[in-house]
Amino acid sequence: MIALREKFKIPKKLKAIAALLLIIGILTILSGFFTKGLSTDNAVSAQFWGVLMYNTIFWTLICNASMFFVCFTTLAMGGWQASFRRVPEAISCMVPIFGVLTFLILFYVVAIDHNYHIYGWLNTDVVQHDEVLKGKQGFLNVKFYLIWTVLTLALWSLLGWRMRVLSSEADKGPLLGEKGKKYIWKNTVTASLFVVWFALTVGSTVPWFWMMSIDPHWYSSMYSWYTFASSFVSGLSLIALWVVYLKNNNYLELTNQEHLHDLGKFIFAFSIFWTYLWFAQFMLIWYANIPDEVVYFKHRMQGAYRGIFFLNLIINFVFPILLLMSNDSKRKYNWIAFMATFIILGHWMDFYQMVMGSLSKQEVSLSWFDFGVLAFFVGVMIYGVAFALTKKPLIAKYNPFLKESVIHHS
Amino acid sequence: MQVKYESQLREPLIYGKKTYHDLTEDIIRPIEAKPTRLWYIGFFVAVALLCFGIFSVYRDVTYGIGQWNLNKSVGWGWDITNFVWWVGIGHAGTLISAILLLFRQGWRTGVNRAAEAMTIFAVMCAGQFPVWHMGRVWMGFFVLPYINTRGPVWPNFNSPLLWDVFAISTYLTVSLLFWYSGLIPDMATVRDRAKTKFRKFFYGITSFGWTGSAKHWQRHEALSLVLAGLSTPLVLSVHTIVSFDFATSVVPGWHSTIFPPYFVAGAIFSGFAMVQTLMLVVRKVFALEDYITIGHIEAMNKVIILTGSIVGVAYCTELFIAYYSQNKYEQYYFGFSSGNLFSPYGWVFYSLMFCNVIAPQIFWFRKMRRNIYVTFFLSIIINCGMWFERFWIIVPALFRDYLPSSWSVYYAPTIWEIGFYLGTFGLFFTCFFLFAKYFPIIALFEVKHILKTTGESYKDQVTNIEEEAVEKFAQENLHHH
Repeated sequence: MIALREKFKIPKKLKAIAALLLIIGILTILSGFFTKGLSTDNAVSAQFWGVLMYNTIFWTLICNASMFFVCFTTLAMGGWQASFRRVPEAISCMVPIFGVLTFLILFYVVAIDHNYHIYGWLNTDVVQHDEVLKGKQGFLNVKFYLIWTVLTLALWSLLGWRMRVLSSEADKGPLLGEKGKKYIWKNTVTASLFVVWFALTVGSTVPWFWMMSIDPHWYSSMYSWYTFASSFVSGLSLIALWVVYLKNNNYLELTNQEHLHDLGKFIFAFSIFWTYLWFAQFMLIWYANIPDEVVYFKHRMQGAYRGIFFLNLIINFVFPILLLMSNDSKRKYNWIAFMATFIILGHWMDFYQMVMGSLSKQEVSLSWFDFGVLAFFVGVMIYGVAFALTKKPLIAKYNPFLKESVIHHS
Repeated sequence: MQVKYESQLREPLIYGKKTYHDLTEDIIRPIEAKPTRLWYIGFFVAVALLCFGIFSVYRDVTYGIGQWNLNKSVGWGWDITNFVWWVGIGHAGTLISAILLLFRQGWRTGVNRAAEAMTIFAVMCAGQFPVWHMGRVWMGFFVLPYINTRGPVWPNFNSPLLWDVFAISTYLTVSLLFWYSGLIPDMATVRDRAKTKFRKFFYGITSFGWTGSAKHWQRHEALSLVLAGLSTPLVLSVHTIVSFDFATSVVPGWHSTIFPPYFVAGAIFSGFAMVQTLMLVVRKVFALEDYITIGHIEAMNKVIILTGSIVGVAYCTELFIAYYSQNKYEQYYFGFSSGNLFSPYGWVFYSLMFCNVIAPQIFWFRKMRRNIYVTFFLSIIINCGMWFERFWIIVPALFRDYLPSSWSVYYAPTIWEIGFYLGTFGLFFTCFFLFAKYFPIIALFEVKHILKTTGESYKDQVTNIEEEAVEKFAQENLHHH
């Protein structure tokens, strides 16, 4: 009999790292808050709130991507991920926490600060004299923005919580025959609800609200799917990072290179998918060259953001396609961990240029401040996920597909 | 030896107490038997349609495409609609064989062979439209870039229409290779059983001297994976480039950044609908219900609801962005003022919304997904809906352009445009009937491969594994890590 280490104990080193990151993060945020955040000049305070915005949106979306992973593998009746399913479940516990942060920050920007510099459509004086913005008021208004944001975050958290509750059943006793079918059925129902809501939020409305409306005149029908691809591939990388971490600490005995290989394939495939959407959006706008649309790429490709524009492609496309192509590369724990970190950083930068690229068009504001804020979010994530991992056995012993996962061959 | 195990909660993919020999018998028998009367009738109808198509095309070449109803503002009509429709249908086969192979989906084995064949025939049909649309078709080779004596006359590399030439011919080539390399072991099986001279000769040649040695299998597996890897991006690229035909333009209703992934999802959607239409008939006619089970049909219906919903989100996104952009031309196309939703073509939009978005939602219900009649009916509805979608994208975007004086012309096809379309049905079904008669319609060796894990009688034997503690099971089966 293999003995399974079910209980995760947070190593001291991990706690120390998280604490360090948190301290750096909090100090950075405080200093930013007092130097920029409180400024009555919208353009200055936008430099503070904008950074918080893209970080909190990014981390909420990528943690929510974990629940999306759980749900779509449930719907597809995937067996292979059963051995490490508790990892994405734990990551998804961060959705309510980051969700509250997201809401607070957006609420402040929209309802308290009325930051015109971030959301031009908040400025009623401008809107009154702008036919286009006037026409958008049915969608771009504070009430709808906030209600939809609350609804989105609440339902993600609620349905995710429900999925995790259902998953606990697989700790209690064998799920064979009719019992197993019932278990799968219940999971399927909740997972479908989650996926539908996911499509109606990440797949369409939410990126329009939170990020696309920063350039209130500009539009692209691809925008939301692009945001989804960017956050999803980072979410997969985050799962892989935690799996490797647990493996390196001698947990997850039933997970091996075969599972990591398939996670690696997903990361590889969705890196290419992201590139595909990136290319489709960029090329069509570039080719048609309609002034309304090219404004978005003008300063990104030819102005101050030129470096980031190409770096984005190099990190998120060239590196994954070259470095994750071979079989071996996807089966090495440390290599996957390295690539996953790299890809998360790459897409974090993608979110940076999506938000800050619209807020400060003349110069790239990326500085120690951005990395300090990133440290805060990483610190919170490490603490939160590690804590969530301690709450449940690391392997759901009676998951009906667990044995398939044990003998899985990638 | 790896344990043959799959959770009993999964439905078997092969019903009945089957041995390897039974599989061979069941799948090869239709090839060796005389075709039924139904086959002859079907084949005759298909050939008749094909003849009508050939005659229509003959007239196109003789009199020019002026005999179509294309006019000043509607330069693309049924021809390009049909082209996109057929290309779309040609997506399911390679998706099933390539992407589902990479995803290790066992159920693909029951339907992949026929779906791949369908893909190839559909792409052949699609190719007809741009070719004969050229009018002076004997100049067709001008689309190929080669060093020529025409001076500096090259195809326009900036044009997505030329990218189409490359994308579709590559797709056809790779799909053909994939399909054929998969056929080789099965052709050898037919050859080894052959009693007549013709069969010995035909299957002898087509099986390329396959002996079934370990080396052959090893190469075959490697080739399948390489081809799957190559085809996966191709599944996306083909319809992406077809969507570029529209999206690179500045025509309202055509220029939309979401077009590429949305076209791909729509293509898979329509492809699966066509696979359903065909497989529901095939399993009945050839008595293959044990191999193309309700489980297979349900799995495909799940793909249909998924891709149908993606397409639905894309439609709504387009409508929303037309509103959100406050671009009056976009809004005109989507009819926020007195535009196209209320135009003479408005009904096309409502039909496509019904067929592609609303109707498939019925598949949220398990009972409906597993009902053969509902599935068949829905598959036809979706095939129609996806045709409406392409017609909607192409014709209403063109027919009321920026010059109101050309608005009066309502485009409807002539009998020769319809004849051409029916002709491609003839081509498609002629090929399919011949395929069903002379080729193993199910990938025999692949079904054999999954028999001992997912066959009904074998699944009954793993109850003891099912009840075993996972620690013990892992101890027994996890040596190699």
